[in-house]
Amino acid sequence: MRTRDVYMLGPRVPATISMKHIPILFAAALMPLAAAPDGEPLFTTNCSACHLLDQMVVGPSLVEIRTLYNGKPDEFVKWCVAPGKKRENVIVMPAMVHVGEEGLRAIYTHIMKVSDGVKAQKQEEGDRYVASPVHTARPQVQRIFMPDAGPAAIAVALDYGTSLCWDAGSCRLRYSWTGGFIDGYPYWRANGSSVAKLNGSIGYVEEKSPFADAGERKFLGYSVKAGLPIFRYKVGVATVTEGYSPVEKGKGFVRSFSVSPAPDAPLVLNFSNDENAKITSDTGVLDGTKLTLTPAEASKFTLTFSLK
Amino acid sequence: MKSTILLLAICASAHASVWSEHFSFEKIPNPPGTDPQVGAMDMMKDGRIAVAFHRGEVMFYDPSDSSWSLFASGLQEPLGMLVDEDGSILVMQRAELTRLKDTDGDGSADEYQTVFDGFGMSGNYHEFAYGPARDAEGNLFIVLGVASNGAPMAKEIRGEFSEIGEVDREGMTSGATWGKNKGKAGRMYARVNWRGWVLKISPDGSKMEPYASGFRSPNGIGFDAAGRLLITDNQGDWRPTSPLYDVKKGGFYGHPASLVWKKDWDGRFPLKVPVKELDALQQPAAGLFPQGELANSPTWPVVVPKGALPDGMTGQTLIGEMNQPTLVRVLDDEVDGVFQTALMPIFSGSPLGKGNNRIVFGKDGSMYVGKTALSWAGDNGIARVKWDGKPFLSLDAMKAVPGGFVLKFSQALDPETLEKISVASHTYEYRSNYGSPKKDEKAMEVKKTKLSADGKVLALDLGELREGYLHFVDMTELKSASGGALLGDKAWYQVIKTPK
Repeated sequence: MRTRDVYMLGPRVPATISMKHIPILFAAALMPLAAAPDGEPLFTTNCSACHLLDQMVVGPSLVEIRTLYNGKPDEFVKWCVAPGKKRENVIVMPAMVHVGEEGLRAIYTHIMKVSDGVKAQKQEEGDRYVASPVHTARPQVQRIFMPDAGPAAIAVALDYGTSLCWDAGSCRLRYSWTGGFIDGYPYWRANGSSVAKLNGSIGYVEEKSPFADAGERKFLGYSVKAGLPIFRYKVGVATVTEGYSPVEKGKGFVRSFSVSPAPDAPLVLNFSNDENAKITSDTGVLDGTKLTLTPAEASKFTLTFSLK
Repeated sequence: MKSTILLLAICASAHASVWSEHFSFEKIPNPPGTDPQVGAMDMMKDGRIAVAFHRGEVMFYDPSDSSWSLFASGLQEPLGMLVDEDGSILVMQRAELTRLKDTDGDGSADEYQTVFDGFGMSGNYHEFAYGPARDAEGNLFIVLGVASNGAPMAKEIRGEFSEIGEVDREGMTSGATWGKNKGKAGRMYARVNWRGWVLKISPDGSKMEPYASGFRSPNGIGFDAAGRLLITDNQGDWRPTSPLYDVKKGGFYGHPASLVWKKDWDGRFPLKVPVKELDALQQPAAGLFPQGELANSPTWPVVVPKGALPDGMTGQTLIGEMNQPTLVRVLDDEVDGVFQTALMPIFSGSPLGKGNNRIVFGKDGSMYVGKTALSWAGDNGIARVKWDGKPFLSLDAMKAVPGGFVLKFSQALDPETLEKISVASHTYEYRSNYGSPKKDEKAMEVKKTKLSADGKVLALDLGELREGYLHFVDMTELKSASGGALLGDKAWYQVIKTPK
């Protein structure tokens, strides 16, 4: 490598005078009135994150904007300065008043120029990953925003007939349904702005936790055995596990509990009165929807919910 | 002007080929049938890459045979991951920080343990959760995004609701009246606990300390090589342009929605607090990504390991970017104990493309860049970037000195090209509106340039530095002594403090 003396360059012409040393961006911003600003860098800065040339992402494509506003620069500027809600499921554009009218007109010219003669890409219809091996497997556990549940909901497909919604926020079963599982695409296609859809009809709905009167509940997680979940949570000082499996025949679910340490006194659990479900228990005394367990029985017990 | 445009066009195309001269860019195959938007990645001890996808799968990619295997599934929007010493994996998902464990050794997770879920969820789509970053003591740091007034809250929430605000709970959760209420809610809001906060969690998850506030949509959290907790955030309301923060305990980092959860907060609705007061309360950004020019949606910070990039970049911080086709390098500086940085593009104009959400480094120095879009502009899948090991001209350090900057390059410069360097500075307005135009922009006269004897260290005498201003140094036409192009030819230095 060559060695070199120290170079001292003399005072230089300020960049504001010598235009050719200024990148276009600065020229545009420095002289908004003296010359028409260049729309392309302004577009990149203010618009490109949401508007692509030939397909809708967050906002409409430039091709679509062209069909809406070609020959109508005034209307374009008016919209950009004070945008509103136009489309379902599309967020409202932030106001672009800071760009200034000259800048917005330059962006308009740029959009009309680059979109001229371009055809919009065909939008993918529906869910490209609907046949995902993970999401077509049964059983399946999937955390997702669910209808009629808290935001920390967990959807569980026990088999191809029975599914349920368990809520990790309130540590309880919310409801079950029969038919198909969920369509998660309304949630996944964007960023969670819609809840999942249930494919089927609601079966048993549980109005509150059977442990509602037994102390504060705190979620601890779940384990998965052969794809089926065993939820774990605290109720007061006790740790409860609540595992789910499908019934052998027909529709419904088997719900296996453990309580550790076992309570000192008899444990009374109230399930919900729902004409869609017939409840049986392998232990304790079940009176309608009220299950009474001795402390010994409470350490491990299983209920079966047969659905219509 | 015409000649300038032509010149820039030529430079841009020349640079695209220059990146490709030194780096290979390839897409690795996506797992079949899987939505390939990458939310989180980390490296396993055995050289496989753990990847979490948009729909909740955690899969391992084995570079030795290009195969994928499924480890876990069913997570909700995983956006951060940390492979632990024992092979278990911490994943941050919407509702909680989870530890995934394979206890029976069959290669897939059978335990999904809740490590920490002590924060609120309003059901609003924009409440993303990021992390964890782990400090030297093993504490875990997570950071929680705030809700967007693009939608109301859900009727049912998890956690606590804050009454502080102009819209009551009924109004915050009613879709029917949202059109009327959304303007009063704040563009982004934090009506459930700890949204907009960094939380410090003990290694076992049992203790939580509210650590810092003021975040909006902080899709990047990590420790740099010097142990600073770096967090990036996205341009928007109260974010004139996307910032990089050096986060300290107790700091407030600008987005006011989170203040309702501050201990001893006086109960004022943050949007009604005078901007001046909020401005005085906030910590300055250690770096700024000028919108449109460098980055619109910066992502995760990672530390460059030895061998992945030329030696001068080892130990530096690299940050992803979703909306612009680039990654961002961080050049550290410190003035009177204040950490401030220059940010500059790397791989801009290369075949890397957009959507660069997460970065990990393979054992062979390969860089794996996981991509996502999440309905914004972006991409999907994983790009593998590999350096050919040959040196090239790059800017390796930028330091503020009284009246100017000193820039350190990897190779000797061609002194004839120095006069083409230009410098300009501007600031932004801190305000509730979405983003801010540049304010008080000024072309700075380069009064003198001074090159060191070895030709690698360049002093720029500007006469002054402007405190609180972003200084843009354009080195587009700078060349090495042997005529090589400068790879990464723009830098934006945020001067928090001027050295005396």
